[in-house]
Amino acid sequence: MLENFSFRTIVEYLPLFGHGFLATLWLSIVSFAGALAVGIILCAMNLQRSRLANVPAKIYIDAIRATPLLAQLYFLYFGLPRLGIVLPELVVGILALSLNSGAYIAEIIRAGILSISRGQVEAGIASGMTYMQRMRLVVLPQAFRVTIPPLLGQAIVLVKDSALLSLISVSELTRAGQLLASDRFMPAEGFITTAACYLILYYGLKGLAALSGRWLGQQSVRSRT
Amino acid sequence: MIEFRGVNKWFGALHVLKDITLNVEPREVVVVCGPSGSGKSTLIRCVNGLESTKDGDLVVDGHRVGDPATDMTELRAEVGFVFQSFNLYPHKTALENVTLAPIHVRKIARSAAEAAGREMLARVGLADKFNAYPSELSGGQQQRVAIARCLCMRPKIMLFDEPTSALDPEMISEVLDVMVSVAEEGMTMMVVTHEMGFARKVAQRVVFMDAGAIVESGTPEEFFSNPKTDRSRAFLSKILRH
Amino acid sequence: MIWQQFQSLIGSYPLALRGLGMTVALSLISLVVGTLVGFALGILRTGGNQLISRAIGVWVDLIRGTPFLVQIFLIFFILPELGIELDAFTAGIIALSNLAACFICEIVAAGIRAVPTGQVEAALASGLARWQRMRQVVLPQAMRMSLPPLVGQYVLLIKDSSVVSAIGLTDLTRVGWLVVQRVPNGLLVFAIVGIGYFVVCYPLILLARRLESRMGAAHGEVQL
Repeated sequence: MLENFSFRTIVEYLPLFGHGFLATLWLSIVSFAGALAVGIILCAMNLQRSRLANVPAKIYIDAIRATPLLAQLYFLYFGLPRLGIVLPELVVGILALSLNSGAYIAEIIRAGILSISRGQVEAGIASGMTYMQRMRLVVLPQAFRVTIPPLLGQAIVLVKDSALLSLISVSELTRAGQLLASDRFMPAEGFITTAACYLILYYGLKGLAALSGRWLGQQSVRSRT
Repeated sequence: MIEFRGVNKWFGALHVLKDITLNVEPREVVVVCGPSGSGKSTLIRCVNGLESTKDGDLVVDGHRVGDPATDMTELRAEVGFVFQSFNLYPHKTALENVTLAPIHVRKIARSAAEAAGREMLARVGLADKFNAYPSELSGGQQQRVAIARCLCMRPKIMLFDEPTSALDPEMISEVLDVMVSVAEEGMTMMVVTHEMGFARKVAQRVVFMDAGAIVESGTPEEFFSNPKTDRSRAFLSKILRH
Repeated sequence: MIWQQFQSLIGSYPLALRGLGMTVALSLISLVVGTLVGFALGILRTGGNQLISRAIGVWVDLIRGTPFLVQIFLIFFILPELGIELDAFTAGIIALSNLAACFICEIVAAGIRAVPTGQVEAALASGLARWQRMRQVVLPQAMRMSLPPLVGQYVLLIKDSSVVSAIGLTDLTRVGWLVVQRVPNGLLVFAIVGIGYFVVCYPLILLARRLESRMGAAHGEVQL
């Protein structure tokens, strides 16, 4: 029963959780940066008219979306050594998260770009802008605003997904919980503390999303009386 | 200045422009009217290549539209286009809206472009709105910014696609006044509109379209007092009844 | 050598089928339970009772804010401490159903909130009772809006079921993990595992896309 829930043990393990918290935080940041890069490249390919560019991007995006991250993670973890590529678990984990989230981010950016009305593009065309000028001056600045909230949503998903890296024994938050659970046979203490740490990250990102939403809202109706 | 010779266009199976032949002289103002779906918007959208044509020739300011050898961005810089729905850039202020293309397409120095932009905005009566965003402006003010945005490119031709039909009635005249002053300065203009007062005042010619074809063309006087076809009579009776 | 591996893989097809069966069973059961509970929660969430609505909101936030893996561990290791004995399969079903219910609750609530107030007022004016308003007027319209994200949620559910392998259930992912210990070719083994999921998930993804574009057309959003 939970009446002998031991806060003392949690305090004892606090440094481990602190380390796990920071590890999850920074590996999420690195993975998200990687995912943004992957997403931008995929999206640029997907928007090309040439089939040579857009078909591979579409296949990649669909393949990622239709299979679980865990299977993708194992694919890299067990598969890369087969190709003679031996990487530390942490790097494999970051790679898997970036490649996975990148596919979702590509779709978010694409939706942002396609949400810009045809009239905006036509106004650019009519004033003699080239394709690149229209993208840079008219479409992307507007799409950027639209994509911030869903991108933060994707960041939340990524932080939670990073828990799976514990299954290839990357030392991060969930791993810390597993260690406490198995060393002391205290799963309640271990996993409740882990969950609490994730909630801190979750509410932090959620707050950021709300803040950006308000900021963006202000921008669009600035001081309308 | 603008010459259509036997131009046709299809949307799928729909024949939207039928054998259009029309010549707009320099400094001429032509009003295009007709029932909705008659192809009048499509007609002027072809002039700057927002729509492509199927066959026939369309020559604008000496350039053949649709010819791969024609640099369309160069041509479009010479042709201003005012949209029914304004299409101002919502993330830019009024001044940024009017200077964007001069700076990036014409490659004019920012300071010079801004000076010209202020002058143009003042000319359309918006000297106090340089730093306003489109969402802070009324429809009439937005459309006047859109006209200033075209004028800042110093175009040779201006096209207007139903510039007042998205506006509340009390804002229509402020936009028409600006258009009249542009016309009086000798701009070559094609205007799709049902504002017959505007047509009477500045147009040299009214072109009436129906079902993708030009049905009738003449001076405003002839067209309003003595329409030649049943279709134009029916159309006029509908829009003049109010 | 590749050929030998192939033969060895073909030899393990009964295991693979069992894994696929487990994945489908897990997904299907929690899909049904999660949908039913999720709809009930969604209706309560938008109902008049502030206390119930808040409580559901907090629970949904807790579930959305923590990794599914941690939720499974909590259920599998802690419920027994509370005196509830359960096997891995039951734990997996509980965790998946709960997850699905929470996400579906939010989808349904968003759908209900998106129904214009004029619709509710019209129903009020014509004298429909509370439950009639919900059943005849609000829910049918909310459903149309919720359908595409609902199908998308089912895809997520099927994929999340792979995480249940962490507590030892022999689903498709676990089978891959077992086989790769004997046949050391991770690329091949997990490509086949991936194809297994793809075959189940991809039709649903296509369906969601179709529903979405049809709705867009019905609302007249696609115009020039």
